[in-house]
Amino acid sequence: MAVKQRLLYLSTQSTDPRSPAISQALHDPVKGTIVEIDPTLGSLDYESVHDAICDGWRVVHFPDQRGALTDSDVEVIGFQFILEKMEQFDD
Amino acid sequence: MTSLAVDCLLTDDQVADFVISGYHIVKPSFSPEFHSNVYSKLQSLSMNPGDEINKAVPALDQIYAHPSVVGALTSLLGDAYVMAAHRHCHRNHPGTRSQMWHQDNLNIPMLIDGHGRVPDHVRSVLVMYYPQDVEANMGPTALIPGSHLFTSSPDRNASQGNFRDQMIATLDAGSLLILHYDIWHAGTANTSDKVRYMVKYLFERSSEPEDPSWNHDPLQDTRILDRLEKDEAAALQRSLISKRNYLRTKMWNNLAGSAQLKYEYKDKWAGAWPQPVK
Repeated sequence: MAVKQRLLYLSTQSTDPRSPAISQALHDPVKGTIVEIDPTLGSLDYESVHDAICDGWRVVHFPDQRGALTDSDVEVIGFQFILEKMEQFDD
Repeated sequence: MTSLAVDCLLTDDQVADFVISGYHIVKPSFSPEFHSNVYSKLQSLSMNPGDEINKAVPALDQIYAHPSVVGALTSLLGDAYVMAAHRHCHRNHPGTRSQMWHQDNLNIPMLIDGHGRVPDHVRSVLVMYYPQDVEANMGPTALIPGSHLFTSSPDRNASQGNFRDQMIATLDAGSLLILHYDIWHAGTANTSDKVRYMVKYLFERSSEPEDPSWNHDPLQDTRILDRLEKDEAAALQRSLISKRNYLRTKMWNNLAGSAQLKYEYKDKWAGAWPQPVK
């Protein structure tokens, strides 16, 4: 067993960590795994970044505080926070 | 267009649903045996015929010519719509992994005009046919309702995983999923022990609308305008809401030709004062 980093990407409706989460991607430190769209997913694991923090996740990247660029050629849905949690994983 | 197809034209609310969400589901009336025969024929193909899939499996053209499909396509693309030369049969084996969210390619040279993203009109649709039931573990198509109004950033999509409001197209055998060409979608993982087929055709508009090509009732205009402004498709940041509403209304008006929605100013603030907070 070793302590390894889990990463959780949460995109939210605003830069406020209490704003509702729009999407999530969980990266566990297990070789060969990928993030997949889960057709059986009932709801996201966390309602907000704050909800994830209450469960022990730590924010390691905050979204740009300037907000969306309205004249951008592309749109990104949600403001992305990246969180980590250190946990025991089998090698 | 046959009288049967005229009977299958979409209603104002169905067209509004498509403008808002970017998809529409049709289930033409064929027997279960018809679809199981298509499935067997697809299973028997020794190679992928690519664009020639309709020649390898001629029954497919019957599906796309069914009045319920013609009625829906006429409603969205006008009565002079054309079938594009590009077709594709997706064979999704057990163990196939999930795709990433994407918009389909813009640079398929055989398409009529080469395509640019069209967030304010319906110029092209993808029509996906499933010859078998699609259960949640069979790699159903996933899509993000309302995302056809936006141009995605593929690099960023790669890190978004599951959306709260993603729609998973678990469908009965014989269903067709009509999609705005620009909707963000993905094939999901097939964790079952069955092969899942999806045959994709493309259809394109060939003329600009002079009038609505669906079963339009002008008396619904005020209510439709309200829906375009207020209906939620999927959660977005607030900064995209006004752009979303603008594109929805512009798309409807581009489809409606002379029957455009007329915005009338209403003072929605006049009336009773708010009540004291208890």
